[in-house]
Amino acid sequence: MNSGIHVILKAEQLGSFFGLPITNSLLMTWVLMALLIAGAYFFRRRLALRPGKLQAGVEWVFERSFAYTADLFESEELARRFFPLLATIFLFVLIANELEFFPGVGSIGLMQGTVFVPLLRTPTTDLNVTLALAIISFLTIEVTGILTFGVLKYGKKFINFASPLGFVVGLIELVSNLGRLVSFSFRLFGNIFAGEILVLVAGYFLPYILPAPLMGFEMFIGIIQALVFAMLTLFFIKLAIMEPHGAHA
Amino acid sequence: MQQLLAAFGINGKLLIAQAVNFGLLLVVLTYFFYRPLMRILEERRNIVTKGVDDAARAAEKLASADTLAAAHVAEAEVAAGHILKAAREEAGTERSRLVKEAEARAAAIAADAQARAEEVAAKTQRDSEKEIARLAILAAERVLRNQ
Repeated sequence: MNSGIHVILKAEQLGSFFGLPITNSLLMTWVLMALLIAGAYFFRRRLALRPGKLQAGVEWVFERSFAYTADLFESEELARRFFPLLATIFLFVLIANELEFFPGVGSIGLMQGTVFVPLLRTPTTDLNVTLALAIISFLTIEVTGILTFGVLKYGKKFINFASPLGFVVGLIELVSNLGRLVSFSFRLFGNIFAGEILVLVAGYFLPYILPAPLMGFEMFIGIIQALVFAMLTLFFIKLAIMEPHGAHA
Repeated sequence: MQQLLAAFGINGKLLIAQAVNFGLLLVVLTYFFYRPLMRILEERRNIVTKGVDDAARAAEKLASADTLAAAHVAEAEVAAGHILKAAREEAGTERSRLVKEAEARAAAIAADAQARAEEVAAKTQRDSEKEIARLAILAAERVLRNQ
């Protein structure tokens, strides 16, 4: 940090590999995956019928969230199908957000010429990551709707010539569905990126004390955002598999 | 739009790479985390269900064992009553037999004693008759001599 506040909207490129740009957020994603996979592996190895404290805690969270999902879907089978996706979204976003303020993230880097390039950047502060997640979530929602009702019936949710009102409602539905791509990706990106900048700016005012409570707050925001992403996906899937408007009237 | 994408560093390849990363994570976590955890929860639920069923069955068995034991005890009491009654009856007859036997024996002894006494009396009478005869003879002799 040599010249004032240094805010870069996009992830910096560290190099490239067979034409794939290796950015610091991509590197961080791999670190995050390695952490999660290693965690899952060690957790699985120690899985026992008589749980220890850690296992009991994880089981409690797992069971509660699964029960909530099943409640919402009103179907154990649907919950079984979608729970892994929802849980992975939550874990991915959560760990990404929580790693944001770990020492070394954003502070260890390379000098490219005269420009400092951090090696690691929180994945959720890279729109590529949040957009990819949004696309996955969006596709899951829409494909689930189509598989449940068929193209024609699901399409009637959006393009409906039955009545002028139905047509307008359909259009609004269409726009709001497409809008999810933007809202999903920018909400997460915006919240986490803004938090990072907030802490950065606070560091300029009062470098030793002020950033600490803000970091705590941003870690809380990280949990909330992870929850929001997963829960919205859950709700939108539920909306997609509900009868289209007017079909049950 | 191009400028927007450029400003945020949106790159098709990166998008795909991140989606693949996420997909990979989803698959790995599903097989290494969610499913094993689900399985162990299921397993434990089955064990608990079985345990509860077993306990219910054991309680049932215990209850039936109790009634069975009570029935056995009642049966045994009845049998014991019978045995006691029979024993009492047997003891009664035995006692009367013994009494009769003793009475008979006492009667026999009494008869024997009486016979013996009568014999002694007869013998005494005979002896005294003999004595009287001898004294009479002696007296007669003396009378004769004096004359």
